[in-house]
Amino acid sequence: MTRAVNTGFAVAALAMLGVLGWLVSIVPAEDGERDWFGSLNPGGWMAWTFPTALFYWIIAALLLAFTWLAIRDPEPPRRGILGIATTRGDRLFISLLGSAFINLAWVGFGGSPDWGGLAISCIYALAVFRWV
Amino acid sequence: MDKPLNNRAWLLVLPVLLLVAFSAVIPLMTVVNYSVQDTFGNNQFFWNGLDWFREVLGSDRIRAALGRQILFSAIILAIEIPLGIFVALNMPKRGFWASLCLVLMALPLLIPWNVVGTIWQVFGRVDIGLLGRALAAMGFDYNYVNDPVDAWVTIIVMDVWHWTSLVALLCYAGLQSIPDAYYQAARIDQASRWSVFRYIELPKMSGVLLIAVLLRFMDSFMIYTEPFVLTGGGPGNATTFLSIDLVKTAIGQFDLGPAAAFSLIYFLVILLISWVFYTVMTAQKETL
Repeated sequence: MTRAVNTGFAVAALAMLGVLGWLVSIVPAEDGERDWFGSLNPGGWMAWTFPTALFYWIIAALLLAFTWLAIRDPEPPRRGILGIATTRGDRLFISLLGSAFINLAWVGFGGSPDWGGLAISCIYALAVFRWV
Repeated sequence: MDKPLNNRAWLLVLPVLLLVAFSAVIPLMTVVNYSVQDTFGNNQFFWNGLDWFREVLGSDRIRAALGRQILFSAIILAIEIPLGIFVALNMPKRGFWASLCLVLMALPLLIPWNVVGTIWQVFGRVDIGLLGRALAAMGFDYNYVNDPVDAWVTIIVMDVWHWTSLVALLCYAGLQSIPDAYYQAARIDQASRWSVFRYIELPKMSGVLLIAVLLRFMDSFMIYTEPFVLTGGGPGNATTFLSIDLVKTAIGQFDLGPAAAFSLIYFLVILLISWVFYTVMTAQKETL
């Protein structure tokens, strides 16, 4: 059973890597230089760009990884500094939701550069997984 | 608490996820894509980074709409939840009158939003509406078209009329599930009416109350049709709530980028508040 699950997740991980490779390969190039912010499907459905596709790829990869962890190493809920019972999945949700607000606050208060908010979010996520 | 949760039941949600993907997830992903790009039409998009978020977060117009929205939801919850509980407590428990009450309570819920708006638009008119004429005859200077306070009062009364029954019906269902033994025990202990409510009825209703608060909060925070039909967001911008402002930006002005950034912030606020409500109320339930 465990072996079948692990094989399934290994296949899923390979598929995810394949998707990432495919996304990188369709990034538009002009004069041999890649335009990482250009349209992946000009005039097409959903107006995809590489950064937004990567954003969803990371979310999907996190969900996959956490699902695999939950099956391989089930964890009882624990109470942290918020006083609420949380599992790993809850902590991931709190990290992602909080990160969204941290990034919004960073942009709203004129923070620069743009990735500053992302850096704070990573520290916040680590803190959530350690103490919440 | 020391037992790991079995999450296997989530697999059963997969078919629903597929349906929700087409009605919610894919449109939401598209909104994220739009929020970082600009378009001049013809389905051609250009990278714009986080500029739309800067514009939306710095917009006085949107901040004012957010303030109005929060005020509206707070007023709605403060009226509808206690009123719904009060109505449920006073409804007959069984027999003909119980059935009649249930049908009467369900009636407003069956009316579509735009029809509710139209009903109140006519009802409140000073020239032909029953409410408007009656208030004018009593000497009140009531006109929801010109006066912001009158417009607010009309929208709030309309929402209370439309949705209090939902809270009442949910609470009524919660009350009906309490076995008679609890009340008998309370009578033996000579518990006061307040004690019966506080220690028997309220804890037993907490589950349905959580659903009622969440539903009413989300619905009132996203309210669009009723105020749009009744006042069109006016007078001036007095009743322009977030969704009305959003539709003006997205469809009226066809500013897809700012509208998408605005939608995402709107979505995150609703997600955060719903999560806080849910967490706090389930934590309370565990301690009761």
